[in-house]
Amino acid sequence: MSALALEAQLTIRVGQGEASFVVHAELSLERGILVLFGPSGAGKSLTLEALAGLIPAERGWIRVHGQVLLDRERGIEVPVHRRRFGYVPQQHSLLPFCDVATNVAFGLPRRERRRNNPRVQALLEEFGLRPLARARPQSLSGGERQRVALARALAVEPHLLLLDEPFASIDHVGRAALHRILKTTLERHQTPAVFVTHDPEEAATLGDRVVCFERGRTTATGSPEVLLPGAQPIVVRGTPVETCGRMPDGRVRIRIQSAVVEGPAALLEKGEGGELKLELRQRAPESEKPD
Amino acid sequence: MNAVESFPIVLSLRVATLAMGVVVPLGIALAWLQARRRYPLRRIVDALILLPLVLPPSVLGFFLVVLLGRRGVFGQWLDTLFDVRLVFTPAAAMVASCVAALPLLVKTAQPAIEAVPAELEKVGRSLGLAPLALFFRVTLPAAWRGVLAAIVLAFARAIGEFGATLMFAGNIPGRTNTMPLEIFAAYQSGDDARAVLYVVVLTSISVAVVLAASRLGPTQEPR
Repeated sequence: MSALALEAQLTIRVGQGEASFVVHAELSLERGILVLFGPSGAGKSLTLEALAGLIPAERGWIRVHGQVLLDRERGIEVPVHRRRFGYVPQQHSLLPFCDVATNVAFGLPRRERRRNNPRVQALLEEFGLRPLARARPQSLSGGERQRVALARALAVEPHLLLLDEPFASIDHVGRAALHRILKTTLERHQTPAVFVTHDPEEAATLGDRVVCFERGRTTATGSPEVLLPGAQPIVVRGTPVETCGRMPDGRVRIRIQSAVVEGPAALLEKGEGGELKLELRQRAPESEKPD
Repeated sequence: MNAVESFPIVLSLRVATLAMGVVVPLGIALAWLQARRRYPLRRIVDALILLPLVLPPSVLGFFLVVLLGRRGVFGQWLDTLFDVRLVFTPAAAMVASCVAALPLLVKTAQPAIEAVPAELEKVGRSLGLAPLALFFRVTLPAAWRGVLAAIVLAFARAIGEFGATLMFAGNIPGRTNTMPLEIFAAYQSGDDARAVLYVVVLTSISVAVVLAASRLGPTQEPR
């Protein structure tokens, strides 16, 4: 039986009466990374916390590799500490009173909980943390901290890794490096993951599958190429030959000689034969929190 | 210093230390409850915890007599069932110290526990920690500075307890005359030299406590 890595249907209610907010999420993932994508306040993080068992789901069920972890109708609910999921939040995830190696070993059973445990050492190596093994979390950069958090989550060999905007407060360059290291380590450990983000580029880079969230509902599920074509760059190459004119609203129209357009298939294949309209938008400046 | 002079010092230290044996576990548990749980009677429990801190110590002592005295509500019961009479014993001094020190410990430890990031506890739970293990391996170590400061302050309050102790335990030489009571008695009888001895001891303890508490304060907290 080749069960899916994750299947879930959840209804989550927070608050009471008029002020309550209801999330209804349907998720499925064969393998790899499932991205929960949408604006903030759409219910992505609540869904992730309900998956983890950190908040209760009002209705629904969760199956991971065919194993039932939650089924409200049958009264099954595996508590959070027995689900064996890794959880990595955006910040405040490291124990300030432990050094890096002790943090990584934290989730291991008592007998294996040693800093020189081979598994801990291997993970430190894998995440490039060996030189920092004795460093305290306070002295690490944001990117280093999240690498420690990832290594610690993987140390317990989780059935599923849950990541709640883990790289949101890390600068662009650092984030690209973390994306690479996350992708390769998850493949190596064969660990499926659910990744929450509001950044379309991050969703397109990491997701094997994307679920879109809007106001507490999952509105679409599919591959990132189909759902987030706009997140991948469309490149137009050619020489502008003339300015065709100015329009009353102040916009300018130009003509490009024998232009070549490159971009995601999902967008451009539809354009074949007919007219193709491309919209260029200026991206909002990246807001980066200081670390 | 002879045995009569040293008795109040030894008694005070014993009373305060034994009181901490009750106040520390109970106070930390209450601080956690108030910091982390939302339940129907939470506000009322909060008020009850705070009450001994605002009530005049003599009123506190009066309540202790009414509740735990020989004819008190629970005192009678203690007497008939266990043959235990608290009033005018060192145990009564300990009870008075407990009641006075508990609110200080709860109210100082509670913000320290509240300041532990929720994410840290979420991660701990996901890493397989059951609720009790989560408290001892994540919450308490993350809040230890504030909790230790709370314990130190509560100890100082316990060793300095006067009003409720006088009401409930009396001032019986060689039995319940703790240092604060002894200072008052010595001063009343004009024996200033004896009063000064205990004033010096209690002041030294208080200065040490203030220094310790400020070192443990939130400014030293790692970010």
